[in-house]
Amino acid sequence: MDNDQVVGPAPGPTPSAMNSRSLPRSAPPLLIAAAVVLLALVETAAALIAPSRAPTDADWAAAARQVRAEFRPGDLIVAAPAWADPILRVHLGDLIPIEVAGRLDDDRFARVWEVSQRGARATATTGGTVALEQRFGRLTVRRIERQAEPVGYDFVARWADAQVSRVEAARTVGCRTVADRIQCPDLSFNFVHRQIVEVDNRLREALLAQPVGQAVVAIEYPAVRLGRVLVVATGLHDTWMRKAARGTVEMRVIVGGQPQALPTTSDDSGWTRTRIDTTARAGQVVPVRFEITSPAPYARHFAFAAEARG
Amino acid sequence: MGGTSRRADRLITLGLALGTVLWLLAVEGREGFGRDEAQYMRAGERYWGWFEELATNLRQGKPGRSFGASAIDRYWSDNAPDHPVIMKTLSGLSWRAFHTCTCTGPARGLHPIPVQGRHWTLPLFSRDSTAFRFPAILFAALLVAMVFRFARAWLPPSAAAAAAVLTLAQPHYFFHAQIACFDAPIATMAFAVGFAYWKSLRDPRWGIAAGVLFGVALGVKHNAWLMPFFLVAHFLWMRRGDLRARRLPRPPLAFVAMLVLGPIIFFLHWPWLWNAPVARTRAYVVRHLDHEHYNFEYLGWNWNQPPTRTAMKLLRATAPFVETGFTVPVTTLALAAFGAAALVRRRRDEALFPDGESEAPVAAQPSWLRPGADVDRAPGAFVLFQTLGPLCVLAVPSTPIFGGVKHFLTAMPYLALLGGIGLTSIARGLVGALPIARARLGRAAPAVLAFVVCVPAVIETRRSHPDGLGHYNLLAGGFAGGASLGMNRQFWGYSVLPMLPDLEARAPENRRLFWHDVLSDAISMYKREGRLAMGVGDTGFGEDGIKRSEIGILFYEKHWAKYEGWFWEFYGTTQPIYVRAREGVPLVTLYRRGAR
Repeated sequence: MDNDQVVGPAPGPTPSAMNSRSLPRSAPPLLIAAAVVLLALVETAAALIAPSRAPTDADWAAAARQVRAEFRPGDLIVAAPAWADPILRVHLGDLIPIEVAGRLDDDRFARVWEVSQRGARATATTGGTVALEQRFGRLTVRRIERQAEPVGYDFVARWADAQVSRVEAARTVGCRTVADRIQCPDLSFNFVHRQIVEVDNRLREALLAQPVGQAVVAIEYPAVRLGRVLVVATGLHDTWMRKAARGTVEMRVIVGGQPQALPTTSDDSGWTRTRIDTTARAGQVVPVRFEITSPAPYARHFAFAAEARG
Repeated sequence: MGGTSRRADRLITLGLALGTVLWLLAVEGREGFGRDEAQYMRAGERYWGWFEELATNLRQGKPGRSFGASAIDRYWSDNAPDHPVIMKTLSGLSWRAFHTCTCTGPARGLHPIPVQGRHWTLPLFSRDSTAFRFPAILFAALLVAMVFRFARAWLPPSAAAAAAVLTLAQPHYFFHAQIACFDAPIATMAFAVGFAYWKSLRDPRWGIAAGVLFGVALGVKHNAWLMPFFLVAHFLWMRRGDLRARRLPRPPLAFVAMLVLGPIIFFLHWPWLWNAPVARTRAYVVRHLDHEHYNFEYLGWNWNQPPTRTAMKLLRATAPFVETGFTVPVTTLALAAFGAAALVRRRRDEALFPDGESEAPVAAQPSWLRPGADVDRAPGAFVLFQTLGPLCVLAVPSTPIFGGVKHFLTAMPYLALLGGIGLTSIARGLVGALPIARARLGRAAPAVLAFVVCVPAVIETRRSHPDGLGHYNLLAGGFAGGASLGMNRQFWGYSVLPMLPDLEARAPENRRLFWHDVLSDAISMYKREGRLAMGVGDTGFGEDGIKRSEIGILFYEKHWAKYEGWFWEFYGTTQPIYVRAREGVPLVTLYRRGAR
């Protein structure tokens, strides 16, 4: 930049015109330097401020008081984002029993309490209306009310009703209840057990039933009152087992004699829900039979949960 | 460079190194022991046992006893064939020299080798672990000093110093720089080998040094195997004229020295190899070529084996680049981008900046002793290959990514160097744009700018400590942003340290404590240092460990979900009694049996 021209008297364009003409030469370096300084300042400020954006224990305690005051049995309490769930359970875990924490899905809950931070929303609140919203420091408590699907028959909770057998080529082997499971003879891993399973790195309460090579593992509930829909969720339990093998598992559901194939379960399936429309037979009491097979059953810790709803 | 400025450079180098040591020593005590570090401390102390026995045998005039197969294996088979032993041996020696001995007290039985009596030491450190960590901290200081010295050939002092500071002030590097492991030391050695190679292009003495340093690098960590590839890539690019003329450039002295001296030093440094050199070297190599894919969370997925689907392979390939983009301070990244642009813009045979080292050829004929003397040394390609090389290797979907940034930490000093180059480029533009009347401002501007760009990196690093692995930058949104993106928060159980007082206070339940991912070596070290009462128990690993326990901890990593299920089932509750969190993001949960 020629400073003499800028600061000296005419001749030539006016000083302001000179300034504007010289800007394109000097402005980019200045702008770049200014932008970098601004970035440094913003990053510094963010680093200093960010810790104070986290909810405090007092925020959590106040939010928990609010939820407790209006909580009703059967309500669902969730954290948003989901990674805050352990802290939520420190404060409200006594209202989140294992069967709720390990629920099949969120659809059976008519009232959902969402304890949210940083503007996050929980998927469990989708489709509902906000009946209450209140801030507690860095937390927001919302009560969402929505159309729920009442559960008529929970196949996991009613596991003791099941009649389990292993159907081989030449024979059918009956299994019997031994302590906390239904155990089939000859093969120690051939049982049905209600337990917490880890599918897709999330915990669910489900029935664990490993497939058996060259056989069908059949789990039959003799008398199920159907609703409008039968929801079945399937997946493979245990991250190490999913790593150990690649075999797939098939499940077929036979509802009152009508078979229905479910999607194939593989390592990548996650927790797959299938909705079977039973509207036409709602109210009827029928046998429901689950059949599990696998062409490569090694390390396939197959888990499923099911509910007759509506 | 004049004598005064050489003295100033030496002082700055010393100041940077000393500052690094002091910063790391000031904070390392807040960082817990990961599974690997606790094992390395144990191994280091055991290796010391060999030297102790050697001294005894020497006194008895029978040194040969220490070199028999059983004597060697008794000590050196610890942590073999996993890792070579330079850092572990230095840790063991440092511990022996500098710890404050309470070794004959209640923790006497927790040492991996018998304690014969009170150790006479220079008690620099009150904790054993600090003494074990000290060599790694010195390596970090060496790296910071080297980055400054290397950068000074191209950059003014303020920018070179900024590059050095930006090397240290990266949360993930900082996390690794203060622990008795190998990831930060191998970053030091990668830079040292690269430095020596660069110098060897015009000075044959450095060719030999490159070979020696490469041998040391091989003794630090297996990442050293990759170094020649990145250097050869640069060499071929630098001598692409030969390739165009269809003649193969003669292998330079540096590569010959690396090829000859590297394996010799590697073999000599590791006594465990001596008994069965071929079989054991093979076991070591196979161990790492065929390494298990441990679990690691990246973008919401748990990765524990090579992906098989194309979409997942592509996603997996982004890991080192996204992790770099989300963990290195954003200002540093921006400067590095400007630095890369400056290197691209540089004209052949010209210095990177007017005051920097010239790239004009200094010889007419090629020479294997000075292979960069007759050509432009291609500094841009050099920095590019050293920076992107390690990232590209980790981008291959079949490589394990369980270490996160630590697997390509060797790229980070070069990234910081790029930052220094970018800073110089911006500062020169700024000074050029200032009116002449603002000459004083122009003189001060580079130093002020250098200071300003270092501030966010230092503040971010300070903020991240002691949970650097869970820290993510402004782009990702910090700890919370990283959690929302499904990025890894931690590994190997180090983050329990701040909970120790609480755990210790929970007597008598803590007699039956489930430690989850904290290895018994780490628990022993906490007890040796008096950070944990001797009576605190350990119910063991896995499902049975939780069944036996009264209280237990759980580290939040995606693949550990099953363990939380066991807590729910065996303890009969989903309600933890405490969660250790950073900025609201859970790291460790404490459960108590039957808690309501």
